[in-house]
Amino acid sequence: MNTPTLQARGLSKSFGPVRANHDISFEVEAGELLCLFGENGAGKSTLSACLTGLYPPDSGKILLNGERLRLSSAADAIRKGIGLVHQHFVLVPDFTVLENIVIGSERGAIVRYAEAEAKLRRICETYEIDIEPNALVEDLSVGEQQWAELLKALYFDAKVLILDEPTATLDIENSAKLFRIMDKLKADGVALILISHFLDEVMQADKVAVLRQGEMVGIKRTSETTPEELTRMMVGRDLKPQVREATPVGAPRLVLENVTVAGQGQVPALDSATLTVHSGEILGIAGVAGNGQNPLMEVIAGVRRAVSGRISLDGVDIGAMDARAIKDLGLGHIPDDRFIQGLVRELSIEENLILGDHRDSFARRGFLDFYKIRENATRLIKAFRISAPSPETLVRNLSGGNAQRVILAREKRLATKVLLANQPTRGLDVGVIEYIYMRLLEKRAEGVSVLIASSELEDLMNLCDRIGVLFQGRLMGIVETEKTTLEEIGLLMAGRPLEDAA
Amino acid sequence: MIEITPRSSAGWKAMLAAYVLALFLGLATSSLLILASGASVADGFGALYEGAFGSRDAIMQSLVAATPLVFTGLATVTAFRAEIWSIGQEGQMFAGAMCGYWVSLYLGGTTALIAVPVIIAAAMMGGAGLGGFCGWLKTRFQVNEIISTVMLNYIVIYLLSFLLAGGPWTAEGSTSYHQTPVLAENFRLPLLLEDVKLHIGFVLALIAAAACWIIIRKTPLGFEIRALGFNPTALRFKGVNVARTVLIVMCLSGALSALAGVSEIFGVNYRLRGDVMTGLGFTGIIVGMIGGLNPIGAVIAALLFGALANGSLYMSVLSDIPPSLVPAMQGILLLFVLGAAVLVRYRVRFGKRADV
Amino acid sequence: MSELLSPEILMSIMIASIGVATVILLAALGELVTERSGIWNMGVEGTMLSGCLIAYLVMAGTGSPLVAALVAMVAGLAVGVLIGFMTITLRVDHFVTGLGFNLLASGLTLFWFRSYVDGAKPPSYSTIDKAPIPGLSEIPVIGPILFDQHVLTYIAFLGVPVIAFFLRRTAYGLETRAAGENPQFLEAKGLSVATRQYSAVLFGSALTALGGAFLLLAFADQFRPDISGGRGWLAIVAVIAGNWRPGRTMIAVLIFAILDSVAVHAQGVGVDVPYQFFLMLPYVASILLLVMIRSRSGQPAKLGVPYLRH
Repeated sequence: MNTPTLQARGLSKSFGPVRANHDISFEVEAGELLCLFGENGAGKSTLSACLTGLYPPDSGKILLNGERLRLSSAADAIRKGIGLVHQHFVLVPDFTVLENIVIGSERGAIVRYAEAEAKLRRICETYEIDIEPNALVEDLSVGEQQWAELLKALYFDAKVLILDEPTATLDIENSAKLFRIMDKLKADGVALILISHFLDEVMQADKVAVLRQGEMVGIKRTSETTPEELTRMMVGRDLKPQVREATPVGAPRLVLENVTVAGQGQVPALDSATLTVHSGEILGIAGVAGNGQNPLMEVIAGVRRAVSGRISLDGVDIGAMDARAIKDLGLGHIPDDRFIQGLVRELSIEENLILGDHRDSFARRGFLDFYKIRENATRLIKAFRISAPSPETLVRNLSGGNAQRVILAREKRLATKVLLANQPTRGLDVGVIEYIYMRLLEKRAEGVSVLIASSELEDLMNLCDRIGVLFQGRLMGIVETEKTTLEEIGLLMAGRPLEDAA
Repeated sequence: MIEITPRSSAGWKAMLAAYVLALFLGLATSSLLILASGASVADGFGALYEGAFGSRDAIMQSLVAATPLVFTGLATVTAFRAEIWSIGQEGQMFAGAMCGYWVSLYLGGTTALIAVPVIIAAAMMGGAGLGGFCGWLKTRFQVNEIISTVMLNYIVIYLLSFLLAGGPWTAEGSTSYHQTPVLAENFRLPLLLEDVKLHIGFVLALIAAAACWIIIRKTPLGFEIRALGFNPTALRFKGVNVARTVLIVMCLSGALSALAGVSEIFGVNYRLRGDVMTGLGFTGIIVGMIGGLNPIGAVIAALLFGALANGSLYMSVLSDIPPSLVPAMQGILLLFVLGAAVLVRYRVRFGKRADV
Repeated sequence: MSELLSPEILMSIMIASIGVATVILLAALGELVTERSGIWNMGVEGTMLSGCLIAYLVMAGTGSPLVAALVAMVAGLAVGVLIGFMTITLRVDHFVTGLGFNLLASGLTLFWFRSYVDGAKPPSYSTIDKAPIPGLSEIPVIGPILFDQHVLTYIAFLGVPVIAFFLRRTAYGLETRAAGENPQFLEAKGLSVATRQYSAVLFGSALTALGGAFLLLAFADQFRPDISGGRGWLAIVAVIAGNWRPGRTMIAVLIFAILDSVAVHAQGVGVDVPYQFFLMLPYVASILLLVMIRSRSGQPAKLGVPYLRH
């Protein structure tokens, strides 16, 4: 029996009172794919940070090929053969692919590119990765940037490779390619650790280690378990599927006709989008993030201007209106980036709850109405179960889930006609996700038109009446949830129009 | 190795402790300066105190000296709160004085009741115009406001030099003095106390401070100013016209600086001349920052610095220390206050990381 | 006005402007490297002023321009440590730190100078000699302009391609740029962001102080409290207008230097237009340049953003 390449024994790491990892043990053999499975906040990122030398664990041991490993830094980990492919690419857009890979390991003063380029091309050939080493990273597509990120680890002959949510920004074709590359790596004897929360990916691994709230719940061979069992282990209980009542669909309310939004350069960010959301309907927009969801949401909300096309709300043309006027018509908008676009971190909860409405509902004769502001905050904190000591708590101190509740509370009040939700559940744990979906269904029952963009396809299938797919700024088609399949939507997401579906 | 992590909240006790520490370190360093220049610390600080607070006259003079600093300090607070780094207080102050003077050339013998408010209004418009211009350059052309305001400072000062050094506004027979003729009585700011020349500018300054405090804390505009300083993107997503807010802030800031110019020329010196106002704009920046970007804090800091400036003249007469110790002290104090502010917001830990 | 356009005056303007450009160029190149590492050092004016004063005081003590320049550079390093400590370690806002330092420097230099002079007349020294390159400096027209300058001028202009090479082809230069574009990149490779930023700030401050020393040694016979006259600010504008590239920054610096030189000559020659309007020219030009050159594509992505390790 070979010594496993990587072994972790009793790893623990705390940040102040927060126990991110507690007594975690597992092992990976050469040529094996282990998946670390857990929802957001379970401790996966902390674990990978400990394994790659970013911070030392508080206690526990890491063994590489049977020998105790003491990592002093990330450079140390790379030298010892542990590579990390980051979730959010760590690349310098201004540098070429080659420079991104080679910088930091060159011992000389002047960078010797010729040798490095030859080695890189060899690796690309071995793994069938099609990328030009001298291209600037900023000129690459998202998929190509992912390969660049992957090559950073491959270049240094990693014996252990950790991939952190690598498919989050990839479309189906590239995701499949990534798994083919991982198969090759396994054949070459590399020990692979995949961090993911996608069930279909998990089942492609050899072993799964399930993490929940910092602890290892269990390790199973995928051949000996089921997705349902794994989900139960991850969440700790059975998930209730959302119950979507059949309600009669109302009149068309939000109508977009051939709306185009300019992008950088020649390619439009949103290309001739046409869709209708009826009152009492949830329309989902599927697609990998970055394919036009943001321009779509922002142009409807009035944050961006359309170059052509018509947008109307209940018949009123809102194309030329600013965000404040559209808000007054009854539109709420939960933006993509909650801390940058939706909240002001340095302000309190009650102040964030009136953001955008501070001149209208919460001002009286030129001054802010503090009584009303406080009363609004107290009520909403209670109603939305926002966990915070007081309405004056700064939003900076809130967790992601609580911060999203603040935004939800604010926008739900404003959304009497339309609610836009852009990736509302990203990075949140299952409890909050359930909560948000329940509120969206509430709005639907009230007759509000809900437009939700999400990369969680399974959730969209549960939640939405109809689903549209965005691919490179174009709406590939809108299908009825009852009448479609995951495969059909998958094809649309890959850019194949409906007619091609056999 | 130094580890810095953000604190979740900072109690007011921590802030007070930080300020006291900063003050103490600042005084200690200033003492070192005095010693290095070969004078006696006791003499120096003693004379400083005497000159600033030693008598009723001295105290009143300190208030007069503090008045323009309140205005430029408020101008700093207004702009910096919105993270608009306007360094134009100096130039806007000059512009205010110049506009006030220019208008006075057309007012003839108009009664002070009308003339003074008109002069003040003209000055404020001049300062607001200059500030607004820089705000426009920022929103329309993305010209960094630090640079545009600094450049305009130089331009305004050269313009004034042209007007006063043999140019159209120079007083007869005093080409070497760079000043205008003495202002007529009806243009001067009324005095509160005749003997020490405490003029209504001081009261205006306090009113301005109260107005700033009310605006920032209690109005939608103030809400936008604070939010703008922290996160303009979130405001944009809510349909707030960020460009308009920037312009308003710059105009407000410019108008406040202009009042400092009115205060010095029409309240104290009764002649338009460049040298009496020099440095008040930059000191106002220090006043605003040390005051914690808070209107009340700015008033307190202005009073302190006005006292220091007033006392420094007495000190230079009585001891060997040049009056320029005070600008040096102000700079030192500022840096310590900045450092102390960091200690309040972050927890600082020293030492190596633990090995496992 | 036409007197300004006579061939002799034009030659004189061009020759002088190369010299003036040296001062601003040294500061601009230093600031360029600093900003590429992510640090907005707004304290350039104060650093330059400090370099002027230190050079003057050391000349008074030793009479050696070389020692004066070296000590000024050391003073620049000290300033770099201070500004670096506040921005990199304490993570104080970059603008506030720089502005605060300028105020400190103007106060301190004034105090120190007045204490030193102590009521007496400040001593003055002759300015340093030029070092014309034999042969080349005799070429008509361009000879005196390009090759009859001070040693430091040659070094400063040679610095342009050197720094460009450093930033594009050396490992440390690329790592320094990474600190300003995406510090996480360095962290993931186990390299210290702070080290690279500190070295950039120290380098920039030393170079700026050297520029200040040169201003005093080559163009002034004594120190005056307002001697730097905004040239530090012009250096910052030059970097922005040059889109953070050494070659373009040099062009912006030359524009300012020529205008500055025109102003000085206008005062000497005596023209109809009041001289103050000529003095305004560099500052007006800087605003116009920024308005016309809208591209900020070269701006380092994380410039001014204090870096917090997670």
